[in-house]
Amino acid sequence: MAAPFSRVYRPLWRIITTSALNRGVRNVSSSRQQWSAQNVKPAGAASPWALHGAVCLQRLPAVSQDRSPIEEEFMELMHQMELERSLLSDHELRLLEDAARMSRKQEEDYDSDEEEEDYRDKEIVTAQDLEDIWEQKLKQFQPAPRSQAVDEKDVSSSERCLADSLILLVKKHVGSQKLWLLPQIQWQTGETLRQTAERALASLPGADLTATFLGNAPCGFYKYKYPKDIQKEGSVGAKVFFFKAVLPSHKHLPLEKNSFAWVKKEELQDFLKPEYLKQVRRFIMAL
Amino acid sequence: MAGIVCRIASRVISSQAACSSVVAVRHSHWFTSVLSLKTSMPLRAEPKKKKKVDPRREIMMKERLKKKLKRLEKVPPELIPIEDFITPAKCFDETRIRDAPKLCFEESERRALLLKEWSRYKYSQHQTEMDTINEALEAQRQALDELKLESEELYKAALSPDMDLFPFQHEGPSYTPPVTNYDAPEGKYNDVTRVYTQ
Repeated sequence: MAAPFSRVYRPLWRIITTSALNRGVRNVSSSRQQWSAQNVKPAGAASPWALHGAVCLQRLPAVSQDRSPIEEEFMELMHQMELERSLLSDHELRLLEDAARMSRKQEEDYDSDEEEEDYRDKEIVTAQDLEDIWEQKLKQFQPAPRSQAVDEKDVSSSERCLADSLILLVKKHVGSQKLWLLPQIQWQTGETLRQTAERALASLPGADLTATFLGNAPCGFYKYKYPKDIQKEGSVGAKVFFFKAVLPSHKHLPLEKNSFAWVKKEELQDFLKPEYLKQVRRFIMAL
Repeated sequence: MAGIVCRIASRVISSQAACSSVVAVRHSHWFTSVLSLKTSMPLRAEPKKKKKVDPRREIMMKERLKKKLKRLEKVPPELIPIEDFITPAKCFDETRIRDAPKLCFEESERRALLLKEWSRYKYSQHQTEMDTINEALEAQRQALDELKLESEELYKAALSPDMDLFPFQHEGPSYTPPVTNYDAPEGKYNDVTRVYTQ
């Protein structure tokens, strides 16, 4: 792979000064020199980065989005054009016949015997009556309201904003601060990163969320360096790998407030730190 | 047949013998002797010789029948008509034609402009979608590169296909959310689809 390596990573607490950009084929030892200019690691040493697996749990929309004004206009235009270009249906023909028959009945030279020889034995149910009956039946059914009674600002409920896809955020102690993060947990030897992400999901207190993970590959990553006082020999910082998961359609589970949040993509900036947000936004698609 | 003849004859003879003295009586020329009634004329004749041509003839008959069957079967099967490609006769009914309304100039202008606006809107929507997708793919590619830097086995595990993912099912969004504990009424219908066999 000969991709030019020209990205600058700005970690959460520390801005590193990048050395010369490395062009050409990347290999393990040469790229490590970029991150820790002072510590030159011999090839084959344990990586100084602690690995974390995180899960980007999405509750997909349950209700269709509202139409924008141009979409409304276009929809109406399409309906009109389709109607103009179509043929008359059986029901419409019946309506026209009934109307013609009614007008013939109103006329003075109406001969009821001639008209009714076909219809004498049958009950006359006009097409208009049928339409009324169907209208009545429709009114008997009450659909659930599109926007549920849940308060839109209450981020802890997963029933808010049914028309958008929501991401789960967790408040966590990192170092000395309490931050809103995607649920993450440290990697242990012997498991794949996807299993780490699954463990992160399972370890959330108070929620047995069974989600479908979309594949074995991570969808994004974020890396940060520990602040200078915590940095020891052999641990420079941490790399978090995100995995996407999707909640099944019908499940809605209440979670405790103040530590969980279901958040839309637009609201993410109110919760996440800027650098973290920049990486996370790339793989969250709010289409 | 011969057995029945023997039994009847013996009954006749015994009845005769009972009333009269046992005399060699010939009631019919078939019975040559009273005591030995076992055989009759047709039985005494030598069995019919099965001519050797006969089995060959039977075999020939069977082969001819088989050839006839094959000729019948060679006819290609009738093609099943595709219902969607046949316009039903109802559509050619002249009474069904709607009288098209005459559009004024403003209306036709408005329609044309709206269609152009729509194409522009859809184009920009498509561009944003493609950009979002490419961004997500790029993020994934970079994540995999970083993982490769970390450890080869984790990288290989990430690249391996996920067997449990497919078949993947998810109910998409509807206009209204599902009603909790809804008891759907039973719908009865008459299935009038035509089933063809070849």
